[in-house]
Amino acid sequence: MSDRPQPDGAPPDPRAPDPRAIVAGQYTVDPSRRLPDAGGGLPAYAATSRRGILTPLMAIAVNRNAPARPKTLITGTGGIDGLACAVGHGTGPPIDGRDAWYVICEAPSGPPLSHGLHPWPEPMVIELVLRPIAAVLEHLHERGWTHRAIRPNNVFHSQPNRPVTLGAAWAAPPAMHQPAVFETAYTAICHPAARGDGRIADDVYALGVLLASLALGRVPLEGLDDRTILHRKLEFGDFMAITGGDRLPPMLNDLVRGMLAEDPDHRPTPALLRDPAGARGRRVAARPPARAQRPFKLGATTIWNNRTLAMAMALDPEEALTAIQNGQLMYWLRRALGDSGLAVKLEDLVRQSAQDLVTDRELANAGLVMRAIADSDVWMPLCWRGLAMFPDGLGPALVAATAPGEPGGGGPSPGDLYGKLFEIVQTEAQGVWAAMHEERTPSAPQRLEARQRRAILQIRGPAGGLPRLTYTLNPLIPCASPLLGDRWITNVADLATALDATVTASPDAEILEPHIAAFIGARSDRVLDQEVKALASEADPLDRALGALRLLAELQSRYHANALKGLTAWVVARSPSLVARWQNRERRNEVEEKLKTLAALGFLPPIRDLLEDHAGHEADSEGLHAALADLARLDAELHDIADGGRRRGVLAARLGQEIAAGIGLAAIATTLLLAAMG
Amino acid sequence: MAKAAKAGKAPKHAAPREAGGGAGGGAGGGVRSVVWLSGLACGVLAAIAPGVAIVAAGLLAPGFLALKLDRDPGRPVARTVLTCGLAGCVHPVIALWNTGQSFDAAMSIVTDPGTLGVAWSAAAAGWLLTQLAPLLVRAALEAGALGRATRLRAARGRLAEAWGIDHATREPGQGG
Repeated sequence: MSDRPQPDGAPPDPRAPDPRAIVAGQYTVDPSRRLPDAGGGLPAYAATSRRGILTPLMAIAVNRNAPARPKTLITGTGGIDGLACAVGHGTGPPIDGRDAWYVICEAPSGPPLSHGLHPWPEPMVIELVLRPIAAVLEHLHERGWTHRAIRPNNVFHSQPNRPVTLGAAWAAPPAMHQPAVFETAYTAICHPAARGDGRIADDVYALGVLLASLALGRVPLEGLDDRTILHRKLEFGDFMAITGGDRLPPMLNDLVRGMLAEDPDHRPTPALLRDPAGARGRRVAARPPARAQRPFKLGATTIWNNRTLAMAMALDPEEALTAIQNGQLMYWLRRALGDSGLAVKLEDLVRQSAQDLVTDRELANAGLVMRAIADSDVWMPLCWRGLAMFPDGLGPALVAATAPGEPGGGGPSPGDLYGKLFEIVQTEAQGVWAAMHEERTPSAPQRLEARQRRAILQIRGPAGGLPRLTYTLNPLIPCASPLLGDRWITNVADLATALDATVTASPDAEILEPHIAAFIGARSDRVLDQEVKALASEADPLDRALGALRLLAELQSRYHANALKGLTAWVVARSPSLVARWQNRERRNEVEEKLKTLAALGFLPPIRDLLEDHAGHEADSEGLHAALADLARLDAELHDIADGGRRRGVLAARLGQEIAAGIGLAAIATTLLLAAMG
Repeated sequence: MAKAAKAGKAPKHAAPREAGGGAGGGAGGGVRSVVWLSGLACGVLAAIAPGVAIVAAGLLAPGFLALKLDRDPGRPVARTVLTCGLAGCVHPVIALWNTGQSFDAAMSIVTDPGTLGVAWSAAAAGWLLTQLAPLLVRAALEAGALGRATRLRAARGRLAEAWGIDHATREPGQGG
């Protein structure tokens, strides 16, 4: 972790940088040199490479509750010109005394476009912004990635007549810091952490808004709240809402119109955007949504078409449920909107829900509204009781749900974010939602993924549940155990050291609490995972203690070669019940003595071998049985002696009479002999 | 009907009577035979050697009394009293034999307090022996059992301690 000891015997070099300031073994981060505008809204610090690479670097500090994007960081984003690529990541110098984790990126060479935003001439917009960013997006698209952070404060321009560069987008969940105006209504309505990776068309959309901003010299819809922005986009269409009736230069006008198409499939690809003239000529006529003859009022929203209906139902699910169940919505759909197909679908949903007597009513109603929304607008995200999310955003959403400010930090409860996410996984809503988009995207992978997530949720004990799912879906987040405090532990090897320090400071701490167990299960190999799962199945406290010992011993033998004296002392302090399994007192004393010796050495596997000695325990058990048999024999003999008084009395009487008779005969024989001898 | 009832009852009582009579008759017959044979022997002795018979009758009177009173199987008390009494009769009978076995000599021997005292004391010693010997044997047997119980308890305690078995709750014969 962050505290890396000096090699034994080597005095620290005063000129050498603090080992804690080095990230991934090769980047030195200076937390005192903050780069205010470089991180696109995230805190960024100056960084340098220790291998002589002259490219200016920055270190973006990752928030504990907003995980970095693992897919791009693990595979690496290097080699794309015009993009702040990530070159490394890891723990680095602490900030405000708390451990910190950084993503090292190429630093932007100029200020962001948001600084002094002014109208740009059309040729400059196309040549310096559209073409370079389209090239970057094309590279990303080829690798199957998205950027999802195209906004004025994350696009940098170093010099006039030089192309802009795209900032980093790897140190936070996709689109988490995107303003609503730069996202489609369907992603803007989502929880910021749960917008998912999306598709390259979402980047094209954000680029379209950026182009409009540069052409207009201002950020469109600035100052409006997110709900108003959503409503305007849905009511007037994205292009109209963004431009607000202002005219854009002709070329840009056509390009932006295409880039802001409601249907992602209608937006030009990045490759096409590199040839703006070609992209301009590609016009896809999308049919505007049918407008109702009279509006429908759902909660505070006035609805005129399917899109606003879906959005209103997502924002106000309880009102939506009432309107569906009492049939008013279906009546409006038939009579005012003329969409009897949707009305029939909703009636079918109500009928199916009424026939479902197995599912909990609350969950069934939530599922009903979710399917009604998906039926109303096929592009809507998964909407569950007021929470909107895309399934690939579940991981970051789970992390956000456990943030200190969230009410669900203590565990899932109905109504809070954590509870809603729990219900989504438990009901496999992801699979149901995907099945409703079958005609556009195959749902089988989503249904399989939903089933796998639910299987993790259903694993009993600390090896499963939401914590386990959280660590499984977010391979870069630190262990959130309260025992670890501000430490940033992202792998099991560091966890062993941290646990050692924890139990040294607090010997009474119960270290295998659910977060730590789930973390070990998710981040370790199969053997260790089996040990974690075994913790749940051990009903006997002794077996559970032995399971904990096995787990910690495996942890040390696989991930930490050095002594862990704190952990061994902790284990030995909890081992009397395990030592007491030895019935033979002499052997027990020997084990106790040996334990003391092993605790001082700091290695858990020998302690496990000593306490789990199957052959020894078998011999001990056999010895006990033999001892009990001997005891029973002795008891029987003692009983026999205690109860044998009468028998001995009879024997004594018989023997006494025989002896007396013998003496009488001896007397006769003696007198006869004496008489014979005269 | 009455006849039938009587006929039915008869075998019911006959069986035990036969069984008891059989067994008792066998034993009683044997005892009676011994008594008859003893009586016959005594009669023969009295007819052939009346002096010896008188001496034996006088000196062995405690033995005969014990024989009469002892009802235990094998008559162990009477047996010892008689054998001891016989040991006390050897010298008087030899003396009678040496004096010609006359009736007078027999009477003088029987009426001699010393001779009578020795014979009857021998019989009394025999009786005393039958009373003391069982007690002494019983004491020896109890001492042996006590020693063995002590050794067993010690072994049991060691075993229980070595294996941590709660011997206080399991040990038999505690307090009894």
